[in-house]
Formats: sequence, structure tokens, C-alpha cells
Amino acid sequence: MQTTIKGLRFWCCTLAGSATLALVPMTTAVAAEDARVNGFYENATYGREGVGLSKFRNTLQLEGEKRIGDVGIFSNVSINGTLRGTYDGVYDLNKDEYGRTAGGAILLEDTALAPNPDPFVPHGGGIAPTPNFGFDINQNPNDGMIVLGENLHPQDGGVGFGVPVRPCDVDSRGCIDDYLDKDLNELRFQEFNDRADFIRELYVDFDLNFDSGNVLSTRLGKQQVIWGRTDLFRVLDVINPVDFSRNNIYDELEDIRIPMWILKSDYRMGPTEVFDGLAFDDLNFQVVWNFDQFRPHDIGQCGQPNVILDAGCFFRGMNNLWENGGTVANFANGSIATDFGPGQIGIREAHLPSWSLSNTQLGLKLEGVYGDLGFSLNALTYRSQLPSLRGGIPAENAFTGDTAVWPSLIAFDIHFPRVNLVGGSLDYYSQGIDTVFRVETAYTSGEEFANTLREKLYSESDVVRYVVGADKNIFIPALNESQAFLFSGQIFGQHILDHEREQRLLGEAGIPDWEQNWIATLLIKGFYMNGRLSPQIITAHDVRAQATAVAPSVEWLVNDNFRLTAGANFKVGDGARKFDDCRTCNPWDPFTAAYPGQPAGESAGLSGYEPLGRFQSGPIGMAQKEDEIQLTARYSF
Amino acid sequence: MTTTKNKSVFRWLMAGCTAGLMSTALMADEAVITNSFYPYNTETPSFDGLKAGMVIDQSNVAQFKDAIDPAFYGFIEQGMTTITVGETTSFDLHPNYVEATRVSLGQVSLGNEVGEISGWSAGRPFPEEPDANDPRAGEKLAWNYKYGYNWGDSAAIYPFYWKYRDMDSGKVERTIKFNFHFLNYKGRVTQEPTPEITPNPSDLFRAIYVQVLDPADVRNTQLLIHRAADDLKRDNSWLYLGFQRRVRRLATGQVTDAFLGSDLMIEDFEGYNGRISDMNWTYKGTRYMLMPFYNHNDLTLDAETHIDSDGYQVVSFSGQGGCFPDITWQLRKVYEVESVPVDESHPLSKRVHFMDAQTFTIPRTVSYDRKGSLWKTFTIGQAHPDHHLPKNKGSGVSIDDSFSMIDVQASHCTTGQFKGQVDPELSPPQMFNVQHLRATGS
Repeated sequence: MQTTIKGLRFWCCTLAGSATLALVPMTTAVAAEDARVNGFYENATYGREGVGLSKFRNTLQLEGEKRIGDVGIFSNVSINGTLRGTYDGVYDLNKDEYGRTAGGAILLEDTALAPNPDPFVPHGGGIAPTPNFGFDINQNPNDGMIVLGENLHPQDGGVGFGVPVRPCDVDSRGCIDDYLDKDLNELRFQEFNDRADFIRELYVDFDLNFDSGNVLSTRLGKQQVIWGRTDLFRVLDVINPVDFSRNNIYDELEDIRIPMWILKSDYRMGPTEVFDGLAFDDLNFQVVWNFDQFRPHDIGQCGQPNVILDAGCFFRGMNNLWENGGTVANFANGSIATDFGPGQIGIREAHLPSWSLSNTQLGLKLEGVYGDLGFSLNALTYRSQLPSLRGGIPAENAFTGDTAVWPSLIAFDIHFPRVNLVGGSLDYYSQGIDTVFRVETAYTSGEEFANTLREKLYSESDVVRYVVGADKNIFIPALNESQAFLFSGQIFGQHILDHEREQRLLGEAGIPDWEQNWIATLLIKGFYMNGRLSPQIITAHDVRAQATAVAPSVEWLVNDNFRLTAGANFKVGDGARKFDDCRTCNPWDPFTAAYPGQPAGESAGLSGYEPLGRFQSGPIGMAQKEDEIQLTARYSF
Repeated sequence: MTTTKNKSVFRWLMAGCTAGLMSTALMADEAVITNSFYPYNTETPSFDGLKAGMVIDQSNVAQFKDAIDPAFYGFIEQGMTTITVGETTSFDLHPNYVEATRVSLGQVSLGNEVGEISGWSAGRPFPEEPDANDPRAGEKLAWNYKYGYNWGDSAAIYPFYWKYRDMDSGKVERTIKFNFHFLNYKGRVTQEPTPEITPNPSDLFRAIYVQVLDPADVRNTQLLIHRAADDLKRDNSWLYLGFQRRVRRLATGQVTDAFLGSDLMIEDFEGYNGRISDMNWTYKGTRYMLMPFYNHNDLTLDAETHIDSDGYQVVSFSGQGGCFPDITWQLRKVYEVESVPVDESHPLSKRVHFMDAQTFTIPRTVSYDRKGSLWKTFTIGQAHPDHHLPKNKGSGVSIDDSFSMIDVQASHCTTGQFKGQVDPELSPPQMFNVQHLRATGS
């Protein structure tokens, strides 16, 4: 279950109640210019190949605005609120895949049994070379599980283990307290949780006008703060965490950013002459203080339809190994299914930063327009919203029974390290080719990456990310004589500056992520029937993963209130990839040595699909088998 | 003595001649001003058989063919609409604008290239009657439009309703509610500061800010256009998309694309919303024509679309598909000007503008596609400011009050219903900064 912070909960509920009370009378005053209430009901029904129904999400959203005007020294005072509630029926309608009866008994590969045509053992059927190995099958039964990654790839001689997939109130195995621990109702009704996510936004705006004409505009409350100029991939737009469990990376960020309690102040200077010869058409300085308790991205819990990078399944399986022990395929000698005991390998816990002043997050942005150039300079100190697995925790040596910190043992805690970011963005319109260019870049320090060359199995690296985008309208008379098509392309680049990789006896070891990688996206959008019918296709290609997503869709505005969107999402490419899985890391030397004289904690590089290949496959490659057709109907009021 | 006397007489003669010449010149200048700004002082337009109060319909339209532009003539001929004729009335522009014209009379000249002008600071740059023998007469008229008093120094259409209509069935497919705001940075004559807002680092001439209020799928879409004083420089435009909460710079090519799916492109706004240098301009002639000028308060209005506390109602629409405003038309002095896009990939081959000689608004424009076929026809109804909202009285602004853009080929139209307000409080300069889009939108 998620953390309950009494003060915050009280505050949220109070504000929610206030917002609701404020919105109710507004419904009778919709025509008034200073008050507005509107909303929508939406049904999103998705079907996934080989799975059946993967989403039956029903959303009711209410948005309200009350303009108050001048209050004391403040002007343009207004209150805004957005309430959102969803019910995803997939957990009831397709419960064999995603609900209380999901999963089942599993078999784990034991290639040592070859040439047996069926070289598998059931969960709990691995070897236990010493009394410390093995686990209680009654505590960790072979039921309600899948094999990690089974939807994407065979075990193929690599590591594999069981992952419980039922909601945490049905099966608590592998549920990580405060992080990935949703019960059935929290899956069904995603916003109704201890963080009061049904209050999607609730903030007050107010301006302070100075004699100079400059304005200090402030927004205080639960909100989204958007930085940057790019779509789909986030380089600067990192202030709010993101809910990837909603639809992986494919929903509009507007719908999947997780709003936070933030104070945002903009000192708006307008046209400004800094000194003689240097004048800006617009200049703005922004301070963002995210004082909310830290929240990570919602990466999806194993058993949900969308689990980005399948990381939630890896984490749940690993936590189950730590808590209850379990069978790991092809482990001993790189080939024998092995039963580990509790507290020997796996994920122990997640360290979510508690609320403290030092754990809040601060951002600065200088943004403006200089001639034909729009620009921003950004700086942010924040907590990584992605988890980092840090090894080096005390664990039991299954051979000796001793508990100690063992080098390169696959036993982790989850941390969210502090990250510092500096960056900037530009946009520029090139008259000559009638094209708008957008550039965004960020340099971060403090990010952590899995690294099988290090004893704690992670290392820190500075990272450079950038996006170069171009937008152009092109007439294609054969397809539409009256309206141009929008072409919008982007190249997203990521460079891990302190990347480490070495060739070892059995393969490469080090950081599985690509040292340099690029993802290219292309949006083509057309408009027919006065913009009421709009087909589009979005493609994204991960260059190093050799994985491509293609998402065609057609949006039909039936009238001002009713919109239908039919679409699909297909992937092509290589899918799963292999990398050093640390079976040959020799943590419990000499018992685990892969070859005579192997130094303790030094990987020999034996590889498999799990667990680190996911970082090479990326979000597109890891969702290779998640082809979907999608129908969304929205009625606005 | 004789010499002295002769000198004295000569001086008097010289002084008298100079004074006479100056007086003649002043009188000539004043005649230019009067002719340009008060054309109906001395002459009342007339057309055989035409009189106020009559209705021109399918049965009698042929008689008035020369007083109606060909596209609108076609509509009446096909029985799609009628014209109710009103009295010709003078739409006097603000005296400060007239005075600014007087002050700079004769000081404004065109440069070598289309789009170059010098000597202008405010007022109508070329008030003289266009000369058919002047190859750049059309361009001068275009400048008169660009530097026209249009919406004055600033104004807002607040709110502004656009309806997308199927012309065959009459079905209203979509209703979009906007606010439009206009601000002149230069050439200001009535609202402080005059004649220019400073600082003005990019040397802007004008800015337009648009905000969408309804419906939900496009709510908070905002458009900001910065037009440089240097006509050879392209506009800078930004679009804020409500569903993305992000400001995106627009490629200028997008100003020739349908705006939010309507039948208008951004370039169509106000009759023509682009650079002088984007077009080749040709003056085709002057004549009296029926134009959509009227007193808003004298009309039978639409009681449903807009309701507010001051009782203001917008212009109603009827005719084929509801694509024609229920207004009256006046016989007025009109300059016919043709504009041909310089860019051969422009979706239009040409526009024919019918500019009102007194106000230099463009109440009628007919557009042709690349093949030269009639494509769209644009009507902007002009309301007299003294018969509109009380706050507009005496503003000297010919109020854009209704529009109809008809796509003849698609049998589709977009209609516009305005609440135009000449009120500087509604359009402060801070509103026309990029940051305002972000502050307002998210």
C-alpha cells in the first residue's frame, strides 16, 4: 500500500472537498464569463494480440475555473481545479490476464537436463546444493505466476524466475511496500489512492504588478509544470513524474504527467533591453519549487497491461526471491535451475525519499524571445524518477549461511538518487525552407545505471540528452487538395558519458545501456472535413535496439461534444536482447566461480535475455509483443 | 525712390504669389484629405434603379450586376441569398488618424521593392486617388489597408463565434468561441502611448492574439502573430495547444492552411493578413458597389448564440446553409485590387479584394484556386461604431461585425459573429508576449 502521510492526506482531502464544493455552484453559473465548468467522459477500449482485452478504461474528468479578479495587491486571481476518476474494467473483464485469477503454474528451464526434449522444472523443482538453498513452496507456491519476460522471449538458456502477477491484495508476493503495491481497487480505480490523485490539479493563480510594467505571476498548488519543446520523449520536461502504466509512452504527456504540489513563479519582463544593443522581445524568469513528497514514475506493476521495460515484473519477481526465495532457471553452472532461499538474492526494499526540505526539488528557467529565436536556459535539482538498483546489501551466502555484503551479488535495494540538470532549448523558423526547428538539450549528473563491472552492480554517469525536431507543412495534392499535412520529425539522442563496457571470457560486461543511442520519431497528420476527420501516423524507431513502433489512428469529431478515435499500435524489430546477467559474477567465491582463478565479484560475461537485456531493447523493443488495436470515445460537456 | 518702390511692389507680388501658391497647395491637400476620408460629403453614390429599402433577389439581380461583385452576384442569381439595400452613410474614421494623414501627406514613398516604404509614421500613407497608369497603384492601396485604421490602435473581438456549416444541409458542424485581440505597436494615433509602444526590440508593427474558449477539444488553443514593421520580414507566429500545454512556433506556411479546420486560413483574417511583399498587387478600378455596411443596432439580431449582461446580441445568419449575414448593404465607393501570391506553391492563384475607399477595410474578397477556379468568397460586415456598443461610439473604427467565408467548391462555409470592442483595457501589451500564452494556457 502506498505511504500515507497524515498531514498531506488531510490537506489533499480538505482541498478536494473545497474544490468540489467550489465547483458545484459553478455548474449553475456556467454562462458567466468568470466561471467555467466542463468535463468529459471517455471510454478507451484496447485489444491486444494474444491477450484479448487490454484496456477498458472509463474516465470522468471535471475541470473548473473561477476567476476572482483583483484581491488586495494581487490581480488576475483565479482558482483552477481538475478532478479525474477512472475505472479500468480490464481487471474484471479479463481477470485471467490482469485480475485476481491471472497467471498460473510455471516451468523454468534447466538446460542441464538436455538433451531431454522438455528440459524444464516446475517452480520449486530446482536443485538445492546446500541446506541453505531451497525455499518453502507453501509460502511461495507455483501459482498465479508468469515466467519473467515470457510474453516477449523464451528462456533460451538464460536466467528466468517466477513473477506473481495478481493484485497485491490477492497475492502480496513481490509487492514492494510504498512503491509497487497496488491492490485490485487501486488498479481498477487508479486515481483513488493515498495521494488523492483524483485531484488531478488544484491551484490558485495570482499576479503582482510592478510599476515597471513587469509582472510576477504565481501558481500555487497541485499542477503540471511543462518545460521544453519536444513531443513524446522528455529531455527538459522532467519536473513531474509520469504514469507509464496508463499507455506506456504513447499517451499525451498532458494526460500522464503526475501533478505535484508546486510553487511556480514567473517574473514576466516582456520586451526588455538588458543593455544597449541587447534587447529581448520577451524575457521571463521562472522559479519552480516542487515541495511535494517525492513520487517516482509509475512504471506499471507486474500484472498490469502496461509495464514499461517490463521493469515492474523484474522488480516484483526479484522482491519475491528476496522475501520468499524461488527457483531461478539455468543458474548453477549457467545451466541448472536452482532454488534460492529468502534473503539471498533479489530486491530487498525501495528507499523512497521521505518529505524533508532537502528532498524537495528546485528549478530555474530563463526563457525568452530574441529576434527570430526562442530560447530557454534551464536548471533543475531533483530526484531521479526512475529507480536505481544498488547492490552491496547484506545477504546470506547460500553455500555457507553467512550474512555479509558480497561483491556483485544480485541483491539490491531500490534508490532514487538526486540528479542535477542543466540544459536549454531553442526554436527557430527558417524562412528559406519554411520549417520550424526545435532543439532541446540537457546535461545531467547523478544518474545511475546498472553496471556488472562494479561490485555494487551500478555506477553513476553524467548523461547528455538532446532532441532536434523539425515541423513542416507539406501539401500533397493527390491526398488533399485544400489542406496541407503536418510533418513533424524528431531525433532524440542519449550519450552516457561515463559508460563502461568490457569484453570478458564469456561475453561483454558493464553498463547494458547503449553508450550512444538515438530514437527517431515522425508524425504525419492530415485533416479532412474541415478538420473534423484527422488521420495520423506516428512512428518511432530505436536505432540501436532496432525496434520500431507504428501507431496509425483516425480521429473523428462527430460534433463539438463527441469524438471517436480508432487506432493501432504495432511494433516491428528485434525485440528482446541479451546481456551479461551476472550468473557468472562469482559473488560467493569460490563456490560460484565460473572458471578456476576467477576473481570474486568479477563477471565472466555469461548473458541472457533477463534481466539486463531490457536496457538494450528499450521501451519499444520490450513491448514488441504488445500490438494493439484501440478505440476511444470521448463525450465532452 | 522708384527703385525702392519697385522693390516693395515686387516683394508684395512675390509674397502674394507665394501665399497664393501655398494656399492653392493647401487647398489641394485638403481636397485630397476630403476626397479620401469624406467621399460622401460632396457626392452621393447612385445606381440606376437602386434605392434604400429595396431587396435584390433572383428576380432583379441582373439589373444590378455592375454594382455587385461577381461571386456574390452568383449567390443571388442562384437564389442562395438576397441583399437588402440601406442608405449610404459616412463611416468617418477617427480625426486623429485623419490628422496624422494630413501631417504626413506627400512624405510617404514606396521603395524599389514591393514591401518597401519610407516616410510613414501614422495615418493613411497614400490618400491620393489611385492612378490607373501607376503600375504600383495596387501596392499603394494595399499599404493603405495595412496601415489603415482597421481596429484602431487596439481592440478586441470579445467574444467571437465561428460556426462551421454544411451549405447544402445547413447543419452547423462546429461552433468555436474565441477571443481575438489586436494591438498596433506603431502608427498609433488615439491610445497612449502614441505614436509607438516602446520598448519594441523587434520593431513590430502589429500583433494579433487569439484564444479559443470552446469547445473542449480546442479550448485554450492560442495563436500569437507578430508582424514586423519591415514588411520584407516574415511574421513570427506561435501556437499554444491546450491539449499539449506547449507553445509551438509556427512555420509561416501554416498561415495558408485552414485555421482550426475552418474555411479561413490565418492569411485571410481581416481580408488579408500577410505581408505586402507576399503578393503582387494590381489596381483594377474604382466604382460604386454594394458593400456590407450597416448599423448593428438597427438589425434583427441572433438572440441565441450570445447572451450577456449588457444585452448585446450578435448578427444573425440565414440564406443557403445559413451562410449569409442578415445585414443591409450600402452603395459605396470601392477600389478593386487583385493580389497574386509571389510563392507559386501558395494554395491560391489570386484574390480579388473590394476595398472600401473611405475606411480601407476589405469587406469583400473573392479567392481563386491554383487552377484559377472560384474557390472562396469572404464577406466582412462593417458596423458603424456609433450604432453599436456604447463604448464604441465615437471611436472612429469601422467595426468588423460579421463574416462569412464560403468555400464554393466544397459547398461549405464558416460564419463569424462578433462582439467587437474598442477598449484598450482588453488588449494590454503584455497580452502579446509569448509568455502570456503559457501563463494563460496552463
